[in-house]
Amino acid sequence: MGMYRTMFLIRRFEETVNELYLEGRIPSTLHLYIGQEAVATGVCANLRPGDYVLSTHRPHGHSLAKGVAPRAIMAELFGKASGCSKGKGGSMHVGDIEKGVLPAIAIVGANVPIAAGLALAAKMQKSGGVTVCFFGEGASNEGAWHEGINAAAIWGLPVIYVCENNLYAASTPFSKAFKIQHVAERACAYEIAGATVDGNDVLAVFNRAKEAVERAREGGGPTLIECMTYRQCGHSRSDPRTYRTHEEEDEWKLLDPIPRFRQWLMDEGKAEAAQLSNVEQEVEQTIQDAIAFAAASPEPDPQDVYTDIFKE
Amino acid sequence: MAKMTIAEALRQAIREEMQRDERVFCIGEDIGIEGGFGGAFTVTLGLSQEFGHERILDTPISETAIAGVAIGSAIGGMRPIADVQYSDFLFCMMDQLVNQAAKLRYMSGGTLSVPMVMRAPVGATARGSQHAQSPEAFFTHVPGLKIVAPATAYDAKGLLKSAVRDDNPVLVFEHKLLYGSKGARSEKGSLSPIGEVPEEEYLVPIGEGVIRRPGKDVTIVATLLMLYRALSAAESLSNQGIEAEVIDPRTLVPLDKELILGSVRKTGRLLIVEEDNLTNGWGAEIAAIVADEAFMWLDAPIKRVAAPDVPPPFAPVLEREYVPSEQKIIDAVLSIF
Amino acid sequence: MSVNVLVPPLSQTMDTLVIVEWLKKIGDPVTKGETLFTVETDKATLEVESPATGILSSVLAGAGDEVKVRSIIGIIAEPGEAFEEALTSVDNSLNENYPPGAPPSTDRQQTINVAGPKGEPLPPERINRLFASPRARQLAQLKGIPLVELRGSGTGPRQLIVERDVNAYIERQKSRPRVTPVARRMAEMTGVDLSKVAPAKPGTAITKADVETSLHEGSGAPASAQSSFQAIRLTPTRKTIARRMHESHQITAPVTYMREVDATRLVKLRERILEKLSEDAIRPTYTDFLVYITCRVLSKHPALNAYFDGETVELHDAVHMALAVDTARGLMAPVIRDADSKGVEELARIRGDLIDRTLKGTVTPNELAGGTFTITNLGALGIDHFTPILNPPQVAILGIGRIREIPAVHKGKIRIRSVMGLSLTCDHRVIDGAPAARFLLDICNLIESPDLVWL
Repeated sequence: MGMYRTMFLIRRFEETVNELYLEGRIPSTLHLYIGQEAVATGVCANLRPGDYVLSTHRPHGHSLAKGVAPRAIMAELFGKASGCSKGKGGSMHVGDIEKGVLPAIAIVGANVPIAAGLALAAKMQKSGGVTVCFFGEGASNEGAWHEGINAAAIWGLPVIYVCENNLYAASTPFSKAFKIQHVAERACAYEIAGATVDGNDVLAVFNRAKEAVERAREGGGPTLIECMTYRQCGHSRSDPRTYRTHEEEDEWKLLDPIPRFRQWLMDEGKAEAAQLSNVEQEVEQTIQDAIAFAAASPEPDPQDVYTDIFKE
Repeated sequence: MAKMTIAEALRQAIREEMQRDERVFCIGEDIGIEGGFGGAFTVTLGLSQEFGHERILDTPISETAIAGVAIGSAIGGMRPIADVQYSDFLFCMMDQLVNQAAKLRYMSGGTLSVPMVMRAPVGATARGSQHAQSPEAFFTHVPGLKIVAPATAYDAKGLLKSAVRDDNPVLVFEHKLLYGSKGARSEKGSLSPIGEVPEEEYLVPIGEGVIRRPGKDVTIVATLLMLYRALSAAESLSNQGIEAEVIDPRTLVPLDKELILGSVRKTGRLLIVEEDNLTNGWGAEIAAIVADEAFMWLDAPIKRVAAPDVPPPFAPVLEREYVPSEQKIIDAVLSIF
Repeated sequence: MSVNVLVPPLSQTMDTLVIVEWLKKIGDPVTKGETLFTVETDKATLEVESPATGILSSVLAGAGDEVKVRSIIGIIAEPGEAFEEALTSVDNSLNENYPPGAPPSTDRQQTINVAGPKGEPLPPERINRLFASPRARQLAQLKGIPLVELRGSGTGPRQLIVERDVNAYIERQKSRPRVTPVARRMAEMTGVDLSKVAPAKPGTAITKADVETSLHEGSGAPASAQSSFQAIRLTPTRKTIARRMHESHQITAPVTYMREVDATRLVKLRERILEKLSEDAIRPTYTDFLVYITCRVLSKHPALNAYFDGETVELHDAVHMALAVDTARGLMAPVIRDADSKGVEELARIRGDLIDRTLKGTVTPNELAGGTFTITNLGALGIDHFTPILNPPQVAILGIGRIREIPAVHKGKIRIRSVMGLSLTCDHRVIDGAPAARFLLDICNLIESPDLVWL
């Protein structure tokens, strides 16, 4: 049920901020996570408070899944001082280090070696913590990706690399950028564990991630999990998606992870429609509360431009 | 007091910080390998025997990973001292330094910090263009990075210790010809200044420059190898009746502006000497600051002596023309009298 | 941060002032608002306050020097600031000469590029200027040296005028012997070439005696001008008085009307009042009574309480009575404002204070301006009648002569009476004889019969 709530929260959050964006209430473009909710949810459900999550330019889902307050994210999108980064980060840099989520890193692939570093720290401190690094399939062609994964491999670091293969890097289809069929194939190049799963099946993601997290905690080193999924919306808000076909989009809509899981929950008797409705309403309420909070919050003081550059 | 070369002083600094704080560790290429060099310029020689290979961590040739792992481990609570073998390789990790290390604190609204050190050797040493640059200016322009350049053994130890204890990313630029590395790794043409280093604990604060030689006729600002050339030039100038005040800023970011401004108010003339290419070097920034804030005190145009706007050449005769010489410094001073 | 002490623009008419006295010397602590020095304007001696708190670290002009308004004559250093002049002093600069033996750099030989962005020539007003370094400019301004005196002496890069050029100029000035103003005047009048005159003792100033000596020795002096005399320069105050007196006669059409009046009753009235006063009260003078009477009469003769600028007559409602005062510096006329609304006792008090301060030189410029009518009293000096000069733009001035006891006819018998001389000058451009005479008659009626003041 927790996972259903999380996925629903992410979905409704993203749909809502899209509307807010169209109303002109959000100053920047957005990279929405609609359709990929199962990945963030399934992975993060395995994590503890002391674990770290690194994200990308499409970070709202990861942050919400790891427990960053919707209010804090919403206020950040509005550019308010009460945002999770005090208005200095914006949509592509949301996070909350208290919850283990670094400000998302929007340079594709750059978070991979940093994730290895966090994992190295955990190993050196013997904390038992793990680090999850989310990235899209396009990142796995960046030099940083290879250097980072190799480092994690040679030192056996407790890091889980989660590739969200949504088949398109902005407008570039997978086939144009790869000779291989799956990113997970690259795991063997570094002698680490690798697997491909159905990224729209939250249980499959959850189980595969569970394995990887346990491996990491027990000192078994890194895992590369490739989650096949689909970005139902455009890359950013200015993407008319003319490089995809409607047929393809419709096909993937049928595989939407949320109705799938909802159905599964009811079929397996894990939840009743009424319970699910309650959860859904509570989520709507949370989101409305987040909007109200963000709208009522003050903007940053212009003088704050000068602060937070160095730690004194 | 002990007498040390700069390499020894750096090594001592690392040793003391690693003994003092178990979160400190080193990461770089060839720094801990058994029977190896102790880093390209012997700075980490012997440390892996003392601290083990987990804390003197050798890496593959992966500058991005070195920087990224340093950043990540620093955020995760460690205090890494990373290094590249030649400052030219900093460009291989540019995104990590400029887009990540420098910006993460700000993007987080001040909720996290990146307490890492990145050491890099600079200077032309007959190795050709890609192992010869003095690229400090690329980084002095990046908000969020601190930049230091110690030219003496005393400053090397004191500044490196301060850098480790600083909670922000600090780049430490060292000069290949000033290390004083011995044996197989000794550098031809090196200056190897031996300095007195106190045995007891001390720090050199980041952001504080020092007057190496007081004078009243012209202010000369120089770092690293150029500092020594400026001091030689100052001796020659003194024989001609010109007393130069030579300032070693020691830190480029944050710059000890007041020291330089006060000196220019005294002398009325400013010359900046840097081993970097002239255009848009860090010397240009100091010239702009002084032209702005000490304009009324200037008695002559501000001058810079720097390498020409070309990549560092190889042939010794070309390299000698490239790197600012003592005579060029003297000529520049005379031209503003 | 040190603060410059500037010569304040205290006079409406002059752009130089003479320093009278420094009340502080170099090294003294000063407080903001404390009097620092005094200056003499054309009207009065005034105090100048310190602009800041600190230590007086530099004094650039001394007692007797004539200084330009708004120039810097001193520096106040912040307390705790290094106590030295803000810029290098002359001693420091002596080593800054172009080093001997060093080859001249090409930079020095270049002239300054004066072309615009497309290589076009810049306009003359842009390039016809002095090129001096900021440091040199600041030092020149501090020392009161006009940059134009340094033209052609630039020894800096690209022939820039630099600090050592300014210091060299100062040195040159110093090494010329000083000349006293008297000696200078004498040399001017007699045509003596001062550069050929030596002071009696080396290091002292050239005096009048030195110039005379060189005259008698025939060294460059013409044969004429043998009688000795003393030349006195006019003070700024005197110069102003001279100018205004001359202007008055040139501009106005003054006619003076004189008569005597029997002032016996006024004398007795005053004696009675004086008896009744306490020991420490102000004693009204005849001037005070005349002021009072004149104000009453002016209300019936508004044409005499007026300004005339050559075009328009301005009739003033209130009477601001100017009183002529003879001071060591020259004739001054402080003004009793709204004299027509004051009683004799108050007039006496104000008059006493004004005249006192005028004599001391502490009266303010405001108090010396704005008079609508003037009274001048030379009676104490034995004058019966005189021709007072008008004070434009005023159109009338009343002169009071002495009071004598003489035999005169009173109610048909010869009696000893107190008789006072009066001299009224009016500007005939706007006041004819008859109106002037009528005014004077009304004044005299009130002097003769002071009781009529009640009407």
